Amino acid sequence: MAQLGYLEETVLLLILVMEEEAYGFTVSEAYKKHTGKSISISAIHTVLSRMETKGLIESEMTGATEQRGGRRKRIFNSTNQGKEIVAELKAARQKLWDQISFLS
Amino acid sequence: MKQLPKPPKWADHFLQWFVDEKLLEEIQGDLHEAYYHRIKTEGLSKARWKFVEDVFRFFRPYAFEKYSDTKQFLPMFTNYFKIAFRNILHRKQFTAINLLGLSIGISAVLLIGMYLQNEWSYDQATPDQAQIYRLSMHLRDQLYAPISFENYQQTSGIEQLRLVNFLEQQDGVESAAHIVPSDSGVNGMQRAYVQVNNKKFIQEKFCFTNTGKEVLDIFPQQFLLGNSAAAFTDFNQVLLTESMAARYFGKQWANEPILGTPFIYDSLNYEIVGVVKDPPSNVHYDFNVLVYMPKVPGWGGYTYLKTIANTDILAINEQLNKEIAVFLPSLSENKLWKGFRSLALTDIHFTNDHLYELKPTANKAYLKIFSIMALVILLIIWTNYTNLSIAMYADRQKELGMRKVMGARGQDISFQLLIEAILLTLLCLPIVWIFLQIGVPRINELLGWEINMDILYSFQTFLILLGILGLTGLFSGLYPALVYGQKSMVKLFGATLTGKPGKKLFNFRNSLVTIQFTLLIGLLSVTWFIHQQMDYINNKDLGFQKEGVVFFNMSGGEKYQQLKNELAKFPEFEAIGTGIRPGAEMYNQLTYKMKGSDLTLNDGSTVYPDADAFTALGIDCPACQALKEGKKRIFVINRTGAEKLAKSINTTPEALIGQTIVLEPESENEENGFGYPYTIAGIVDDYKYFSLKYPTQTLFMHVIQRPNWTSEVLIKAKTDNWQKTIAKIENAYKAVEKDTPFAIRFLDKHIETLYVAEKQASYFMAGLSLVAIILALMGLAGIVSYIAFNRQKEIGIRKVFGASTRDILWVMNKDFVLLMLIAILIAAPFAIYLTKQWLTGFAYSITVNPLIILLSGGISLILVVFVVSIQSRKTIDKNPIDVLKY
Repeated sequence: MAQLGYLEETVLLLILVMEEEAYGFTVSEAYKKHTGKSISISAIHTVLSRMETKGLIESEMTGATEQRGGRRKRIFNSTNQGKEIVAELKAARQKLWDQISFLS
Repeated sequence: MKQLPKPPKWADHFLQWFVDEKLLEEIQGDLHEAYYHRIKTEGLSKARWKFVEDVFRFFRPYAFEKYSDTKQFLPMFTNYFKIAFRNILHRKQFTAINLLGLSIGISAVLLIGMYLQNEWSYDQATPDQAQIYRLSMHLRDQLYAPISFENYQQTSGIEQLRLVNFLEQQDGVESAAHIVPSDSGVNGMQRAYVQVNNKKFIQEKFCFTNTGKEVLDIFPQQFLLGNSAAAFTDFNQVLLTESMAARYFGKQWANEPILGTPFIYDSLNYEIVGVVKDPPSNVHYDFNVLVYMPKVPGWGGYTYLKTIANTDILAINEQLNKEIAVFLPSLSENKLWKGFRSLALTDIHFTNDHLYELKPTANKAYLKIFSIMALVILLIIWTNYTNLSIAMYADRQKELGMRKVMGARGQDISFQLLIEAILLTLLCLPIVWIFLQIGVPRINELLGWEINMDILYSFQTFLILLGILGLTGLFSGLYPALVYGQKSMVKLFGATLTGKPGKKLFNFRNSLVTIQFTLLIGLLSVTWFIHQQMDYINNKDLGFQKEGVVFFNMSGGEKYQQLKNELAKFPEFEAIGTGIRPGAEMYNQLTYKMKGSDLTLNDGSTVYPDADAFTALGIDCPACQALKEGKKRIFVINRTGAEKLAKSINTTPEALIGQTIVLEPESENEENGFGYPYTIAGIVDDYKYFSLKYPTQTLFMHVIQRPNWTSEVLIKAKTDNWQKTIAKIENAYKAVEKDTPFAIRFLDKHIETLYVAEKQASYFMAGLSLVAIILALMGLAGIVSYIAFNRQKEIGIRKVFGASTRDILWVMNKDFVLLMLIAILIAAPFAIYLTKQWLTGFAYSITVNPLIILLSGGISLILVVFVVSIQSRKTIDKNPIDVLKY
């Protein structure tokens, strides 16, 4: 199983949540909303490209808009491998959470 | 939405510059989107700030070139080489001419570089050169390279050593030495007989010293036989150079028992204690035999001192000036004495105000002119190759377009073009090397230079050569690389969109052409001026008759009289004289004034001729009649001197006759109080006693009826057979002189040798100009053929409409004519400046006539029109049908 850092994990989850709307700018905005901490776009870009090399997500250039000056955006989607990892992560965590007495 | 202000432009540009183009779109898009979003939520100024911040946050390896590109790069690299070689082979003729031109040009530049390097390297190889100084003496208004001995020649060996001994006692002085070279201003003996190995040889270039060990310490020699420690342990020992050993003992001298062999000179026995390498050409002294003897023959010595590191030479110099009375009492009392100077060893070659220098010093004007020449040639080469490569790549646009279609990026194309250009120039490397290998020894021989061939083999030279060639490649490739790299594919394929020459007069190419024209005119006119000056010097009226006069060394008034009597038997000898020999090197000058006047002048030189010397040289001396009437000695001055003196007391030169002049009025003596008075007996018309490099100055002539001291004898003869005449002189000479060999020279030949450096330099410059002109024309030919090719459709249409060949030739030529006119205007000031620089070396020079520059421009124009017409002709002669078909 591939190792995922905290940031990577959060971004991956955000991509799955956002469905077809995840690209550099939106992910950074969503991250801010979700965690309350701000993050630079360049950091998000680095994480995204790293996860793409790992094969967890894939991307496609589409959807030029006026705000972007007619430039296309790189939309990210999770690959099956990415989804599997998320599922595994959840299962592993769940196992732990189940054993914590005060949570049950 | 549209009205919202854009993000800071500079940050945006910066982003575009550094971000890899594959990532640029998404990154820039995201940042812009964030920016507009923030304007709404956080306000404009904050959004702007954050945009800049975001841009800088992207400035990291992630956003730069993707490293994965290297994987595609290597196979492409081999492809570039392959294409480059195919292109070279494809245009064999074009490439060959290019390479030949480039090689010739680079060789010329490198040759100049080697010359300059040789000049700059003077005395640099001497160990601890920075700690070695030579003393000079400041006497009257002149600096003297040698320091005189107490009582000049009338001195003992111990007395000669006083200065050196004093120096060695000073703090900070490691050692001190002096030398007396035989052909220097302190000795004057040029050749002598020596007897070695039971054979008699004529020997030149002795170097005498009575500080043997110290000389070897300051100027270490490389011993081939014997060693430095064992040499000069006692007086009367000599060191031979390698070439002298070969001369005395044959090529296999190393096998001969040289050490300890007697060396007989001046009927004294010396012992050979070693053989050393010949002194290199780039040291300021030279010798064939180094003689260690108790007393050196000369009126002074060239005095050197080596200091301990970090010693203040000025302090030592000051100490010398303070205590001069201790070691040179008579000099210290001399009113004309102005103190010692110390000259750093490495400055000797570049200091030209010292009298009696051992070797000719560097002519700074030449160093400057040659450097400029090298630069000019480099510029021509570079503009040439830029021009030619633009032309060459023009018909490869389709290939480049194809590459772009296949996915090559702008920088890939640029890179390929650069690689190709550099590769092409590097092919010159072996050619240049061969050229220099063959050329340098010939040039050395032709111009009397002493460029050391070793420089050619040094790693440094190789690097410089590589650097020049690499730069040439870079420059020639840069413009096409940038232009074609950025052109869009469509433009690369559509030939019609390019090549509209003549629209803009000052496009890149025409600017380069103008530079070349400027250089062409400049070179042509400077060469022309130099030729004019040399012509002027050769035909200048010297004020004396130099043809049919021979001269030779002879010392002793008695011997001279005997020779004169002997030769008087033959009618062909018209006059035999002594005391003046024109074409002399500048020597010490005296101060002088009219008696009773306060104005002291300081540029007088003295000679001691007899009346026959004037006759031999065809100089009219009316006052000399007095000598025939029994007067022993008269004093005459030349017209320049007379005019100066007359001005100082407001009278006419003729009125000076009979008046009294005082020489060296500062000098105190028992006889006359101050100075030496003489009565002016007459005035002689000016004649050029020194080289034309010096202005005519005052000349004092003590004309002596019967000289009891001579150095050179002049003979004017009227003969059809010089061989026989010289044989007669030689017989008479040998009857009176045994020790010094007979060496006779023609006066006119000798006068020529005075300007030999200038002549050689002018030949060299003419050669360089020729190279530059040929290179420039070659470059032009390349451009024109390209332009003509590009305009062939236009020419075809013109022909269809009835234009004659002449009309079309004019169309092709008119731009160049205009550029040439501009070039003349630019070249004129440079050419005039350079010529004037060079002419500062002459006291007598031509006036720089701007018309010459115009004429050079005219000649250049004719050459250019010729080249342009020939090149265009090929295109013009094409059938319009073929040209216009597609």
